[in-house]
Amino acid sequence: METFNNFLGGTAALFGDPIGVLIFFGGVVGGMLFGAIPGVSMLTLAAILLPFTAHLSAEHGIMLFSVIYCTGVYGGAITAILFNIPGAPENAPTAFDGYPMTQAGKAGKAVGAAVMCSAIGGTVSCVIMMFATAPIASWAISAFGPPEIFALVFFGLAVAASVGAKTFWKGWLSIMAGLMIAVVGLDPVGGIERYNFDMPYLAAGIHFIPTILGFFAVSEIFVQAEKKATGAYKAPKLSVDFPTFKELWLHKIAVVRSIIIGFFCGILPGIGATLAAFMGYNEAARWSKDRINFGKGKIEGVISSETANNSATGAAMIPLLALGLPGGALTAMMVGVFQMHDMEPGPLVFINSPDLVWVVFAAMFFANLSILLVGFLEAKTIVNLLRIPFQFLAPMILLLATVGSYAVRGLVIDVVVMFVAGVAGFFLRRSGYSVAGIVLGLILGKIGEQTFAQAMQMLHFEFSGFLNRPIAFGLLIAGAVTIAGSVYGAFFKKPPAPADSESA
Amino acid sequence: MNIKKTLLGAAIAVTAATFTAGTAMAACATDALPGEMEKPDGFPARALSMIVPYGPAGGSGQVAQAMAEAVSELTGVSINRDHKPGGSGTVGMTAYMATPADGYTVLEHIDDASSAHALDSSRPNPAEALIPLVTSQITFSQIYIRTKEDRYTDWPSFVEWVKAQGGKATIANVSKEGSMERVTMKFITDATGMEIQQISFDKGAPRYGALAGGQVDALFEQPGDVRKFLDSGMFKPILTILKERPDAFSDVPSLTDAGLDFDPLFRFRGFYVKAGTPDDRVKWLQWAFQKAYCGEGYQAYNESKFMNLIDSFRDTDGSKELITNTIAQYRDVYKSMGLEVK
Repeated sequence: METFNNFLGGTAALFGDPIGVLIFFGGVVGGMLFGAIPGVSMLTLAAILLPFTAHLSAEHGIMLFSVIYCTGVYGGAITAILFNIPGAPENAPTAFDGYPMTQAGKAGKAVGAAVMCSAIGGTVSCVIMMFATAPIASWAISAFGPPEIFALVFFGLAVAASVGAKTFWKGWLSIMAGLMIAVVGLDPVGGIERYNFDMPYLAAGIHFIPTILGFFAVSEIFVQAEKKATGAYKAPKLSVDFPTFKELWLHKIAVVRSIIIGFFCGILPGIGATLAAFMGYNEAARWSKDRINFGKGKIEGVISSETANNSATGAAMIPLLALGLPGGALTAMMVGVFQMHDMEPGPLVFINSPDLVWVVFAAMFFANLSILLVGFLEAKTIVNLLRIPFQFLAPMILLLATVGSYAVRGLVIDVVVMFVAGVAGFFLRRSGYSVAGIVLGLILGKIGEQTFAQAMQMLHFEFSGFLNRPIAFGLLIAGAVTIAGSVYGAFFKKPPAPADSESA
Repeated sequence: MNIKKTLLGAAIAVTAATFTAGTAMAACATDALPGEMEKPDGFPARALSMIVPYGPAGGSGQVAQAMAEAVSELTGVSINRDHKPGGSGTVGMTAYMATPADGYTVLEHIDDASSAHALDSSRPNPAEALIPLVTSQITFSQIYIRTKEDRYTDWPSFVEWVKAQGGKATIANVSKEGSMERVTMKFITDATGMEIQQISFDKGAPRYGALAGGQVDALFEQPGDVRKFLDSGMFKPILTILKERPDAFSDVPSLTDAGLDFDPLFRFRGFYVKAGTPDDRVKWLQWAFQKAYCGEGYQAYNESKFMNLIDSFRDTDGSKELITNTIAQYRDVYKSMGLEVK
């Protein structure tokens, strides 16, 4: 009851202040717009706004960033679905099935599912956050150390290897290629240079945003251009038909599963929404009876990815507020907003500034709900971009992707990486490899390598140390069983099922 | 302890200057500078750029923001921050060295640039390839444990407990090859006979979470970065890696108290312009950055980060001396550690 009263108090404070309402809706719209533009993400908007928050009250500043966080994570789904351009890495798995749905004339259903599930995932995690921030935060950091996070990544890779590739071997080779790219640059423990060929820029590693833009957006332009040149191109059918409640209800298990997965990934410091989205998608594919059609335009793929990444947003606020531990770049910037107002997130914030905490909780709750309203309005208009003929749309997408790649660090080499990935992606997709697997290997590889090195240091370089950590051991066993199952399926049960290589 | 002897000469200068300058802080180190300075030939006629080789959310990103705002407030000239993270500062430094020496682009960097040059002389020497405008943060390190920890409660009991673990005890830090953290831990383990496994976390949040969650037994960090955990009572320092106890940590043993006879290494952050920049522009930038250091906003920021406990200020000459001594200090340590110094 006390929680409910606090929530009402936070809501009243939020909507009883006209400036607060203005900032709230500015954050909702700004987050969605910046989230939708590749490269120019919600982080860009947050970095621009950070100095200005000094002129806002602490409540308004923190609330603005919380709202941008919720809606920004959703915003990137629209371009992922319509143009195969994930606005941010956490929207990449949304493109796996969202874009094939667009090509099949079901863009409206995909966008509608993204809108609904982003709102559901975010709202539920927000409610959990309100009730149990402190105990969940303490449990998460005690139970999940580097060995557990590495085991989680291993499990994720084991599941992902079978998604989107034509054969078992091509699936694993795609993952391995991603892992290889991930090890370029300084090693995460000793700082030793690897595969940088004396190029200082490569010492920082291959950034995953230009890689994603290359493998997804640029290679897609090449694929469609080839079709156009050979006369095989068909413009995607425009559709603004949203999914019915009944259609979504059929996937209620996937929604609940993704909420749980997204939540757990979100509360782990330094992990966040990207791993959440990939893990949510992988698990949906793993448990689906129609697994073979994942990557070909299954609405369940969009649902699982978007539910999980938004579920991570509320969860990421838990370690931030309860312990002062930011889960990702945007929550780290929130620490900056706190500090500008002579405050520090952490246990004391609940004692010293309970009003601020509940305004933030209320703002995040309503920001997730507002995704429904503003998201539907936005989707009804943005879907019409598909009316633009390919010869005009393609250069616009290339321009957007180029700007997005350059904007990450202001380095031309990132643009070069994007085009190399685009060309490589074009040929790899023709050969039945999974570009989704490569991207997943790259993103999870960076997390996995670092946590593996840390785990080995913690376990004194003895693999048997995993036996003493039940969660890590359980996840490793689950990963091994998954690999064994896919080996059995590929070589003993039946011939590998063909997958549509262009869907990834 | 031969390391100690070789370092003594270089380190004494750093340490002594750090403490003696403390008295100047009360009046602020740049009060003697004029309140205004005419722009040389209209420089700067447009906004300045500041390359920051780290992300916006970390300690370097925050100090870059605080200084950029302070300079803009003082001079009315905007500063656009351009974050180029990666490669422990290598990417940002390389990008900066490719910019023209016209004074329009400044660089923020930390002591990593000095230790990188010490290990590999082909990397730019910040005291020669660059002109330091101001060093605005100098800080020391501490070792922390959880406040609710009951296996050990202070430095002596911690040392005793670690020794009893036979190498199984762990400490979280940024233990990259040749880093300040790794070198300092070598000093400590050599002096105490402790054997402790260092776990490398390159980002702050997972590092602090590892101690808070009991994944590691201790944490190596600078006090400003963990202030919120100290204020909230989650962490407590058990050793200050300084010769003397600062007032704010008067109940925490120093190196001298703990019987550790080595000279501490410092973390420092500063702002630079490229060597070859016209002198009149350098003078204006020196004035702007040094004067901004004393601004109310920047001083408040430094205080919030415990950067007022020892003297955090160095002008151009002081910065060059700090960097040169630091490079010599690291180079000697690396050689004694058997690392290949190029």
